Amino acid sequence: MVDWPDGNLDAAVRFDEDPYDVIIVGAGVVGCALAYKLSQYRLRVLLLDKNYDVGEATSKGNSAIVHTGFDAAPGTLESQLVTQASRQWPELAEKLKIPFEKCGAMVLAITDEQNKQLDTIHAKAVSNGVDDVRLLSAAQTRELEPSVPQDVLGGLLIPRESIADPFTTSIAYAEVALANGIDILFGAEIVEIEDADKTIKKLVTARNDRIATRIIVNVAGLGSRRLADLYGGDEFDINPRRGQFLIFDKYSRSAIKRILLPIPTAQTKGVLVIPTIFGNLIAGPTAEDFSLDDEEVTDTTLEMLQSLLSGASRLFPGLVDQPVIGTFSGVRCNCSQGSYWIRSNDGHQGIVTVTGIRSTGFTSSPTLAEYLIKELHEKCGLNLEKNPNAVDSRPESNWPGWWQRPFANGELVKQNPDLGKIICYCENISRGEIIQHLDSPLKPRTLDAIKRRTRAQMGRCQGFDCQIKVAEIISEHCGIPLSKITKRGPESEIVPAPTAAGNEGKG
Amino acid sequence: MNSTKHFSVVIIGAGPAGIGAAIALYKRGVKSVALVERSDKIGGIPSLYKKKKGGVRTFIRWSRGGIPFFGEDYAHWLGEQLSKTDVQLWLQSQVIEIEAKENRITLVNPDEGRVSLTAAAIIMACGSREETASERGWLTGARPMRVFFTKQLLQLIDGNGLLPMRNPVIIGSDLIAYAAAAKLKVAGAADAIIVDNRRRPKCSYFERLYFRRWSQPNFRGVAAKSVEVVGSKTASGIRLSREDELIPCDGIVLCGELIPNSELALQGNLKVELPSRKPVVGRDSQLSEPGWFAAGNILGGFHGAEWCYFNGRRVARAVINHLSQSS
Repeated sequence: MVDWPDGNLDAAVRFDEDPYDVIIVGAGVVGCALAYKLSQYRLRVLLLDKNYDVGEATSKGNSAIVHTGFDAAPGTLESQLVTQASRQWPELAEKLKIPFEKCGAMVLAITDEQNKQLDTIHAKAVSNGVDDVRLLSAAQTRELEPSVPQDVLGGLLIPRESIADPFTTSIAYAEVALANGIDILFGAEIVEIEDADKTIKKLVTARNDRIATRIIVNVAGLGSRRLADLYGGDEFDINPRRGQFLIFDKYSRSAIKRILLPIPTAQTKGVLVIPTIFGNLIAGPTAEDFSLDDEEVTDTTLEMLQSLLSGASRLFPGLVDQPVIGTFSGVRCNCSQGSYWIRSNDGHQGIVTVTGIRSTGFTSSPTLAEYLIKELHEKCGLNLEKNPNAVDSRPESNWPGWWQRPFANGELVKQNPDLGKIICYCENISRGEIIQHLDSPLKPRTLDAIKRRTRAQMGRCQGFDCQIKVAEIISEHCGIPLSKITKRGPESEIVPAPTAAGNEGKG
Repeated sequence: MNSTKHFSVVIIGAGPAGIGAAIALYKRGVKSVALVERSDKIGGIPSLYKKKKGGVRTFIRWSRGGIPFFGEDYAHWLGEQLSKTDVQLWLQSQVIEIEAKENRITLVNPDEGRVSLTAAAIIMACGSREETASERGWLTGARPMRVFFTKQLLQLIDGNGLLPMRNPVIIGSDLIAYAAAAKLKVAGAADAIIVDNRRRPKCSYFERLYFRRWSQPNFRGVAAKSVEVVGSKTASGIRLSREDELIPCDGIVLCGELIPNSELALQGNLKVELPSRKPVVGRDSQLSEPGWFAAGNILGGFHGAEWCYFNGRRVARAVINHLSQSS
């Protein structure tokens, strides 16, 4: 059995009777942000997840727009948190050393009917406190974005709408939390909660670990319903809503500067064309409802991808000629009882349920975390004492990541020749960068974890050239046999385990 | 600022086409030729098909009367020919940028960091890769582990001695697919099921007959518009949507359907057809800027190693013409 790195906890610590102050169940972007913010206080906190990396479930499929909240329903908690977070993001990105680009967005009106609606959207934006939006004439729209349809009638410019990196954000939050002494446990599926009604509760994992805590925060996303059942939380329903996306090659990115949005209808926000921080364009999302048990919730389908292309080409007609390099499905954690469905002391004192955090959770993660800490303090009696030694930034020495290429500075390569050994030919990622990430605090060991950190395997060839080489580097550097390297943790091994009979098929 | 080195000809890619061009240039007396290769060895795709006792000989040398060969042997032969020349070989050198108007390429390698090369003529012999699931346009569904390309299959079987799957499904039905089925069978897997959205296999009858010595794959021509990959952690099957039939498997290989590695040409604003990614070539494989040429599988389509080698030689002659005209 391969010794899977499951966070920074050894078994002895896990079985320690000394209870945690807070256990966060779910290491998505919200769980990681909460761990980051809680790590500023003198508290014993554990962040755990059933997967083997942070952001491995719904968070990785986020379109990574940092919303201004211009089109949110005014007066809601979502609108309030998103609007506040939007203003914090530039500083947050600076601290976390994550890429962030204020690219702006534009709502396009093609028909007269739509053109009239622009005023309504403008008014809504202003009432949401996003007062730097601007109505554009047809000529102004085309001047700012020459690739939009020639028959565009007008537009609305949202200058502060931004984009960030969906993957590195969760990772950066978790790395700072870890540096401040928070514990992280991967591969921990919660199967039972003992003594939910007592002050000290115990979370039982599928591996039969018992972990004691005073407070449980359920930010388990799609898993939040099942977890709430274990402690008898309030009624709510999760209806995963699938959003498929097309990914276009980098050569299309130069045609568009801003996020392009259609006029929303009563049913849907429509198909967007979104520049990514990586330099691609993506088009999406669809909105398809699933039930919680459907495994196909992350699949892609041909009909929907085709309809995405026709929808997106209404905003950017040239898109139909652009090569699609990949597709993916994101899943929104849609709660029938409402977005940002938060219950403190849910069922029992000291248990907090946080669910229905849909795509805006990426933007709102810093302010939502602050909101939750206030709830924990006021309603669950969590004692907040600032830790004067806590850091709130990733170190400058931290590898700045793929957005600053080491070969931009030839001297760096001469110091570390591995930085000149390019492994991923599409994104120009070197062996040295892969090794630096293997040595990073969260100890990523899976192919997908390396993909999200370095972008190796994420380019146009989708791993044709580099996947096996990346697996070989993980194997060699971490001493894991190549046959045991996985995509996302145990049971996703690169090759099947040998059978006793050797070559015989499974039948 | 990085250093710049000057050559009379720079060739990007040390596969059969690039080596063919390099050897021809040497033989015709062109001095100062640089051959730039991003991996750590020469030979390109053939070098991945290792020589093995009882293994499948997937390459045919028509110039020697149609003798079947191991790809590795062919790569070895190319290396021998190349070693007799004074061509300067740059291994582990990834070209990150080209400037077409200045006849300049910029590359990164572990020894020199970042270097620019300029030349009177530049040959792009960058080869091709296999289409991804989304590029094929009819393959959707899940994205589990063990959906490989043929290249990965070769790296696992021949490079690491691992059996990547026992019950394979192969997507695509050209020569590469039938060769992959044979390789898998010899490595210990069952006969593959070959699926393609066409009525008959793309691979010719005689080629299929050749591979029957090793394996008898079952071809399934699917009329279905869409085929879905099934599997949450590893591939467990493919679903033919129209027939609503599930073909179980424990691994999928995306074979063939080559797509040109024309990214550098695109980046340098040389004309490239989209979405096919074929570089636009004029007479003598000239690209849209003078002094730039293309050779081998980057031109599009699927050609064997030997075709690429001879094509490289032919393009070298055009390059020599160009050199004599411009000097």
